[in-house]
Amino acid sequence: MKKKSFTRRDFLKVAMLAPFSGALFPGLKSEHREGELIKKAKVVLIRDKNALLSFKKPNPSVIQRMLDEAVCALFGEGEPLKAWKIMIKSSDVVGIKSNVWSYIPTTPEVEQAIKRRVMDAGVSEDKIGIDDRGVRTNPVFRKATALINVRPARTHHWSGVGTCIKNYIMFVPRPWDYHHDSCADLATIWKDYNLKEKTRLNILLMLNPLFHGIGPHHYSDRYVWEYKGILLGEDPVAVDATGVRVLEAKRREFFGEERPLQPPAKHVFLADTRHNLGTSNPQKIELIKLGWEEGALI
Amino acid sequence: MEKLIFFMLLLSIKGEGNLMPLKAEEMFLNELLPKEIKGWVAEEDNLYDPQSIFEYIDGAGEVYRAYNFKLLFSRRFKKEKAPDLVADIFDMGDSKDAYGVFTHDLEGEDAHIGQGSTYKGGLLSFWKDRFFVSLYAEEESLDSREALFELGRKVADAIGREGKMPELVSLLPSELHLKNIRYFHNHLILNYHFFVADENILHLDQETEAVLAELKKEDETNILLLIRYPDRERAEKAQASFLNTYMPEAKKTGLIQEEDLKWTSVSQKENFVVVVFNASTGFEAEYLSEMLLGKIFR
Repeated sequence: MKKKSFTRRDFLKVAMLAPFSGALFPGLKSEHREGELIKKAKVVLIRDKNALLSFKKPNPSVIQRMLDEAVCALFGEGEPLKAWKIMIKSSDVVGIKSNVWSYIPTTPEVEQAIKRRVMDAGVSEDKIGIDDRGVRTNPVFRKATALINVRPARTHHWSGVGTCIKNYIMFVPRPWDYHHDSCADLATIWKDYNLKEKTRLNILLMLNPLFHGIGPHHYSDRYVWEYKGILLGEDPVAVDATGVRVLEAKRREFFGEERPLQPPAKHVFLADTRHNLGTSNPQKIELIKLGWEEGALI
Repeated sequence: MEKLIFFMLLLSIKGEGNLMPLKAEEMFLNELLPKEIKGWVAEEDNLYDPQSIFEYIDGAGEVYRAYNFKLLFSRRFKKEKAPDLVADIFDMGDSKDAYGVFTHDLEGEDAHIGQGSTYKGGLLSFWKDRFFVSLYAEEESLDSREALFELGRKVADAIGREGKMPELVSLLPSELHLKNIRYFHNHLILNYHFFVADENILHLDQETEAVLAELKKEDETNILLLIRYPDRERAEKAQASFLNTYMPEAKKTGLIQEEDLKWTSVSQKENFVVVVFNASTGFEAEYLSEMLLGKIFR
């Protein structure tokens, strides 16, 4: 059966019914019945005003503490190691899927903080890999039983945002095959390459996000700000949707008017409504905020 | 200098739109850029084509491919204790497409270089003849800005002759004082600027030419879309497709009040289709449509 085309009018129909959700969730159909209990996806946002030593250099000890506190909050544990052991078994082979985009990379400080805890959970160092563009041929990733997905948040010229869902694009042989319609169907990668089951944690770094891009390189320091935060959760769609809200709020603040992402971060919401990878609906996300409050934007 | 004259002669013989052999083309593009500018020295050159561009600028490459770009010559300049400068010269093969890709991002102050230019956030962009030029400082400063402007003037001088703007743009009524005029070929670019439908319901492709423009008023902005097809039959099919998908309840009139209470109309004459979005009344939508077609067929 030919797929029905989704037009601007369909988008307007949803927006008229639920102004906020319509702006973010084209095609969303409410499944919530009055009085029904909804199992919410937990997302933790932690911020610390000492998270950066300088503009793009994370403070290693603060980053470690932020990650520990956040995973404790996510899993309701009092000790970080107990929380990490919920995610990782000592027998696991762990791939830490990082991001090397030159302007705002994940950074060794964050990578090592994650690796440290994976080792503390009992995984030997030779069974831990950290990679981005080489994941398809990396021997650890090829036999990985567990993945930690980590990258900085930024706007993106073609998909609207570069966040956790998009971070797995390097698992496919021809990334440009997913460019159609502003990368609308990126979420299919997670199912097609068996990544959803393996992913134990999604970490979206909001330390110094890019909220607006210009030119072929889609970067200017002018549009980066020190939010000094980390978002994490088990549901990549919930994490990304929350990150999108922060970026949109920053754009509103900076430009002094409504400046939607261009193109819109459609793939995040279609990951929910079309591909059932997770939830993008704020009503179905339990956002736990920790730490520094000033400038939180959401 | 003799080398430059030689290549200019070669270009005039070959004519606009016909590329030289690759090596000659590379050498020609090389000659457009100086080796040194205000203390910044050329350090690294690279050449990219429509297949390899993704290695350089990731998904943003789709924009240039949508405008039929042929080659990209990139030069990085370095200066001690200063941010790098990156010069990207896109040979678009045709001045219409150089103009078109320039209109993809119109944000910024006019830099008065080339045939159209903008500057913002450390990025200077302009088009001249069949070339689109992007000059970028990895960090913005007074020095880097001066260097970019100097570099831009030199490149524009080296390009020499000017190219023609798309004739379709000249068919827009000047008395409307339209803003944000964008020229393009395919629906991916249309959706980037104004989402119509996820499928290509207007049958746009590299053989069609389209212009999207804004008519700004005090309390609203009308969106005008003018498309030229290779022949009347294709225009008729495109209109029928738009009617069937976008406004099936108004197939006979081609005029509809949408869910946000704004009016949209579609008209076709010969090989042209005009769509007016976001009009406050049906009369206004039809009036603007007739005005556009009237100018073309006067």
